Amino acid sequence: MAAYAFATVGNILALTGDVDMFQTEQTFSGGVFHHSIPNGRAGADIIVTPVELLARTQGDGSKLFSLKLSECQLELGGASGRMVFCRNTDSSLTIFCEERGFPAALSSASFGALDDRFRELRSLQRSQNSRQWFWVSISLLLIAVVCAGLYFGTLAAAQVAVRSLPISVDEKIGQMASVSMAPGIPLAEQHSATVLVRDIVEHLRPYSAIPDMDFRVVVIQDEQVNAFALPGGRIYVYTGLIRHAENAEQVAGVLAHEMAHATLRHGLQKVSQSLGIVVAMQFMVGDVGGLIAFGSQVAQESVLTSYSRAAETEADLEGARMLHTAGIDPAAMGEFFEIMKHEHEELPAILSWISTHPQHDDRISEIRRFRDSLPAAQYRPLQLSLDDAKRDIGQQ
Amino acid sequence: MKTEIRNRPAFANLLVEMQPGDRFVAEAGAMASMSSGVTLSTRWNGGFLNAVLRRIFAGETLFMNEYLAETAGHVVLTQPLPGDMIEMPLRGNTMYLQPGAFIAAEPGIQLGVSWAGIKSLISGEGLFRLKVSGQGRVWFGAYGAIFSREIQGELIVDSGHLVAYEPTVGIRPGLAGGIFSSFFGGEGVVIRVSGQGRIYMQSRSFNGLAAWVNSHL
Repeated sequence: MAAYAFATVGNILALTGDVDMFQTEQTFSGGVFHHSIPNGRAGADIIVTPVELLARTQGDGSKLFSLKLSECQLELGGASGRMVFCRNTDSSLTIFCEERGFPAALSSASFGALDDRFRELRSLQRSQNSRQWFWVSISLLLIAVVCAGLYFGTLAAAQVAVRSLPISVDEKIGQMASVSMAPGIPLAEQHSATVLVRDIVEHLRPYSAIPDMDFRVVVIQDEQVNAFALPGGRIYVYTGLIRHAENAEQVAGVLAHEMAHATLRHGLQKVSQSLGIVVAMQFMVGDVGGLIAFGSQVAQESVLTSYSRAAETEADLEGARMLHTAGIDPAAMGEFFEIMKHEHEELPAILSWISTHPQHDDRISEIRRFRDSLPAAQYRPLQLSLDDAKRDIGQQ
Repeated sequence: MKTEIRNRPAFANLLVEMQPGDRFVAEAGAMASMSSGVTLSTRWNGGFLNAVLRRIFAGETLFMNEYLAETAGHVVLTQPLPGDMIEMPLRGNTMYLQPGAFIAAEPGIQLGVSWAGIKSLISGEGLFRLKVSGQGRVWFGAYGAIFSREIQGELIVDSGHLVAYEPTVGIRPGLAGGIFSSFFGGEGVVIRVSGQGRIYMQSRSFNGLAAWVNSHL
């Protein structure tokens, strides 16, 4: 071992000359607190011997400190919870280390004399930890309950408020959205496809929940298999959808679904939902910072990009009810989903409709179940043909 | 290498006066001015993987700038937030810095990211922290004034005010008072700092500023 030549301060051991006394020593890296070190602390190499702990500070002006194992007062703690502190009796010197093998080395060097104290400290730490986790869980639960309460409270209040708002609000929102969206090039009012879709909507209108809603139809020249409704009753149908439908009843199925979104006022509900999130988040902002902000962003985006699954199911069932009372077989709606499902793999263009209308199988079976629960009725075929519309779309 | 922190505490900036051969590393983008005799080389912040980890988890930049004086000259370093800077000498000991606090270090200092844990996250201090260790001086900055405290026993610090702490110090989340007063008294979650060692705190909290601005939007 190299020569030590160090000053002595207080209980610091002075060693001079060649020392080769530690046969069973083990070295760890840690640190020392002592007033004689500038700034009061330094990193140190810690040597565990059967008699004492030696700590040699690093860098210029290196010093050696020693602490008898018999005097060592153990403590556990630090940022990791694994830091072992050894203090002398008046706490003027502290040697600390958090390396994994350090407790074992101390234990064997002291021939088990420190084991009881280690056990005591670990069990104390465990009980503190479990108590703390208990309180943390209780607090998080409480925060979650308060947030959920605010969210659902605002949601319920907003839904009541939405229902009491006049339909003209829906129409204004729909009109503003139609201006800002500009979904594509619309076909002419007198185009056979527009006329066909308008005829189907007029056929369904008397059976909708709000018959005097201002349903307006726009057919858009686009190969996507898509249709959507804006609040207030503007309904957009893409020519791709008409091209893929087998008969007018299937188009009526999709239109009934979209009209149901408008009459059930799902658009306004969506706005009120994000309002609920905003209010709940407002309560939280300031303390749990980034994570919550991120969570709220994700939550808001997913709410705003599509209707919820519950809203889709609601629109399916309301649409099926409209078809039934209008004398059209609600199975047509399910048939169109079947077509979507089969053509799904080949035509990426139809993905758009599928992505916002997930789980076709569930919906088809749901519609079938609903249809079976309806009183038996005599369904009549619609006296409308898709042929003219399909031909005219092709010529565009 | 002589250094001076000027214009303290509000708009602190670090003046580094360099002799030929002096070198140090600093956070990318921290330089406000430098002599023409000082060369600047950019490198990954401690190797590619380390740099990416530090960028993602410790709020530091992907690159580090190394300044080397070929002839005598100076470099002035600043930080984005208005606030103080502090010089901290390390003698083989380790210090944990909050994300974004680091400004510069002498060549003997190693930088790394360390896992701070769920307790730290709940305390509002993040899942990761920057670990600085080695021999030499480290400079870091904060929002507002910086003050340090030797911990003996326990101290309660509001979340967002802790800038740096030693590994010998334990931090755990706590409530400022009871459940009611904690959430309606505006203090919410606090950090209970315990053990032996030094912590550095900032007199302003960024979350406090964000909340204040937010309430005026």
